[in-house]
Amino acid sequence: MKRVTPLLLLGVLCVAAPHGAEAHKVIAEAYASGDVIEGEIGFSNGDMAIDVVVEVFDDAGNKIGQTRTDGDGFFTFPPTRKAVHVFRANLGAGHIAERRLEIADLPPIGETAGPEPAAPGTAGLDRAERDLVAEMIRREIGPLRREIAAYKEQRDLQTILGGIGYIAGLFGIGFYVAGRRRNRDG
Amino acid sequence: MHIVDGALSGEVLIGGAVATAAGIGLGLRSLPVDKIPTAGVLSAAFFVASLVHVPIGPSSVHLILNGLAGLVLGWAAFPALFVGLLLQAVFFGFGGLTVLGVNTLNIALPAVAVYFLCRHGMAAASPVTAAVWGAVGGGLSIALTTGLVALTLALSGDAFLPAAKLVFLAHVPVMAIEAALTAAAVFLAHRVKPELFRAVPGSIHGARP
Repeated sequence: MKRVTPLLLLGVLCVAAPHGAEAHKVIAEAYASGDVIEGEIGFSNGDMAIDVVVEVFDDAGNKIGQTRTDGDGFFTFPPTRKAVHVFRANLGAGHIAERRLEIADLPPIGETAGPEPAAPGTAGLDRAERDLVAEMIRREIGPLRREIAAYKEQRDLQTILGGIGYIAGLFGIGFYVAGRRRNRDG
Repeated sequence: MHIVDGALSGEVLIGGAVATAAGIGLGLRSLPVDKIPTAGVLSAAFFVASLVHVPIGPSSVHLILNGLAGLVLGWAAFPALFVGLLLQAVFFGFGGLTVLGVNTLNIALPAVAVYFLCRHGMAAASPVTAAVWGAVGGGLSIALTTGLVALTLALSGDAFLPAAKLVFLAHVPVMAIEAALTAAAVFLAHRVKPELFRAVPGSIHGARP
């Protein structure tokens, strides 16, 4: 055991060291916003993917079109047909952002700004007002959305200890098997 | 450093998986019984090292510690790092299961290369000499890994030189930190337990003076 003590110490140091931001995971979001699909792409530590080409494919992998993210990692894409939209962006160094948008989640396509039957619950609001409300709600839940995405990436001490436990167990089994084999042979 | 699912072509994935399987086989054969706990501890150290981040510009990179694993374990670095990568993929979502073979190859092959390059230096009588070789091994393994990562990306369509430059430059601070860390670890181990670096793969008993 003595020989591994320095290494063990190193491992403990690594756990104890303050965890910086995680740049690993790529987060991509896409949602209907008015008549267009809006989305954002960034890293789980809050850095956004700036000025990146976003390619749009349908379910079969055919390219529908492409767009670019702006300075805040946001992009918009006007859908032209009812199909599953898959947004893909290559952030370089092996980071690929991908986000699927199902047909049910698409914004209304082909519906012009003309009068339309008011949906239940929106009676009394005209289209402009509804758009305004939708815009306000989107702005309100934007930070929440980001927080949830960041929360999903969070890893706590339990996860880390669990992983170390798995490693100890795996190598313990290996040790056991190898020890048994050696005892049998010798 | 971890390439994610979907970034590589199928041929590269299969090639990486086959090479890694061979490396793990070789590593398990050359792992003597009394080095198994060491391999486990290094695997765990590698597992948590990925959580220590070094912020660089808009992005950040993390420690890898594959040089240290290679210097101590030789070919056995393959199974040790494979286990670490597997658990990182499952627990943290780093990389992914389909790219596990390629990622293991990219990280463990430099470890093995460093082992053979620095083997004699490690066995030096003076702890300082050994520590210098440790620093060389720690830094070099990261440099080699960035080269391999760029190469696998290039095989899947990215242009090699820009990708290599990007990954390499991003990891220069990591190289410096890992060189210092590996040197410190080697120095410490050399004084506390010198036979750590002396056990020859294939021998059942570590050489005990």
